Amino acid sequence: MSGRLLGVARVFRSTQYRCFSTVRQGIKYTPTFKQYLQMPNNEVGSYFHDVPLEFSREGATINMVVEIPRWTNAKFEISKNLRLNPIVQDSKNGKLRYVNNIFPFNGYIHNYGAIPQTWEDPTELDTVLGLNGDNDPLDCCEIGSTVLGTGTIYKVKVLGSLALIDDTELDWKVIVIRCDDPLAKEISSLSGVEKCMPGLLEHTREWFRKYKIPQGKPANTFAYNGEYRNVEETLNVIEKCHASWRKLISDQIHEDSAGLPQIMRTGSSIILEDENFLPATIPKKVQRWFYV
Amino acid sequence: MVYSTRQIGAKNTLEYKVYIEEDGKPISAFHDIPLYADKENNIFNMVVEIPRWSNAKLEITKEDALNPIIQDTKDGKLRFVRNCFPHHGYIHNYGAFPQTWEDPNQAHPDTKAVGDNDPIDVLEIGETIAYTGEVKQVKVLGVMALLDEGETDWKVIAIDVKDPLAPKLNDIEDVEKYFPGLIKATNEWFRIYKIPDGKRENQFAFSGEAKNKKYALDVIKETNESWKHLIAGKSVDSKGIELTNTTLTETPSYSAAAASAIPASSPREDAPIDKSIDKWFFISGSA
Repeated sequence: MSGRLLGVARVFRSTQYRCFSTVRQGIKYTPTFKQYLQMPNNEVGSYFHDVPLEFSREGATINMVVEIPRWTNAKFEISKNLRLNPIVQDSKNGKLRYVNNIFPFNGYIHNYGAIPQTWEDPTELDTVLGLNGDNDPLDCCEIGSTVLGTGTIYKVKVLGSLALIDDTELDWKVIVIRCDDPLAKEISSLSGVEKCMPGLLEHTREWFRKYKIPQGKPANTFAYNGEYRNVEETLNVIEKCHASWRKLISDQIHEDSAGLPQIMRTGSSIILEDENFLPATIPKKVQRWFYV
Repeated sequence: MVYSTRQIGAKNTLEYKVYIEEDGKPISAFHDIPLYADKENNIFNMVVEIPRWSNAKLEITKEDALNPIIQDTKDGKLRFVRNCFPHHGYIHNYGAFPQTWEDPNQAHPDTKAVGDNDPIDVLEIGETIAYTGEVKQVKVLGVMALLDEGETDWKVIAIDVKDPLAPKLNDIEDVEKYFPGLIKATNEWFRIYKIPDGKRENQFAFSGEAKNKKYALDVIKETNESWKHLIAGKSVDSKGIELTNTTLTETPSYSAAAASAIPASSPREDAPIDKSIDKWFFISGSA
């Protein structure tokens, strides 16, 4: 458990966003684990605030930070509370969180992650839906052919979105595909997804509806009757959440500031070294398949 | 019995071999492990080849002495099962019953197709992911008759006796009760799993229906009888199967010395699997 991995190469492969790398501290699958963004000048940055969104309406492209690789269970996410927003494993009542396997699925069925420089503002009511944001960066689901690693950054194409209601908060799930994916040229819309990956959208909705049921929670619901929103509407949501993020980062949100995300950015000359610890063992009970 | 494994080489390479050991001595995974762990209570020994949710097509080899588990190859290349949406790799802990043989010289009266020349396959449905070379004690619940490229390829459905649900599962209808949808998914999985490799859809005998425990026990018994013929050197055609064993002193292929010829353990870190194996195939009309 405390052994060290061989090799220190943490620079992203060539297909990834070139100038960033990552630095890991602590032991994966324990509360000590933190994975930070490393800037081109080797300083630590924030996955939330320092990765550029690079929004393009013409190409319908943005950048994405991968938190959870497809077919895995550990719920990694960009921390709101820790300075410089490292990726950590979410915990509840002191216990590390793992998503359950919902039959017939294994773990998450997409490369799951966040859209940097976006924020679902909890202090603002969505005018159409009458719901507040969930205080997180926008979530996204990458549907390409390759399993992507935690903390990697990719340029992705926006294809649509699903408006999940988590408790009473709005929690958009943006569907994207990596621009370098072999199918990216053929898929530019929801109907393109359905044509190339028949059943994926329906199973995705099913997955989000059911995934918290094994923990004794009710099935999730969706706004818009569970209908997917198209590319244009989704780009509008992203733009709006980018504007909310600008407000957040410029310290213009005054309500409830105790629960607001950390907004510290790179530029503080903090340099960290990768600790190269071997990961801990994932508990066996995470392997169970739930029939719900 | 205390079984352990002896690994040679790195997983996902041509060198990889897993021998099963009994008290530290290599034995044949095919011939030396008794089929019955507890005959009276119908508890069987199962040799796990492929862990659930993995892709490498690992199997007990018929070619090497003491039949280690190796990765199947085609045209010199390692074989991986492709992911057919919404499934990830194999959806059961996949393996075989030792001391059984699906005789290719004989057509089964019900399926009318000859055996596939392998030990009978087992799908273990318990919640824990097994490891390659694990010898599990399992309860048999039913059987499905896959017709894989024209040959009978029985898939016995079983559960580890240590699984928390094992006491509640006694026959095939309990599988649907406690694992709703699993039999249908299994059926679909085996029908389509070779389509990404350019092959046709497989068929099931009995309209895809899973037969009950009693039927399964009879099939296992028949394949055990076929194996007894094979190991006794009495088969019409033994298809060149490596029959060397270290415990069956009455058989012509018994060899006390065989174990000492097996190389020492030399495990290596797993080799990486090509990223192309991540791909999900969307077979129209299946998901």
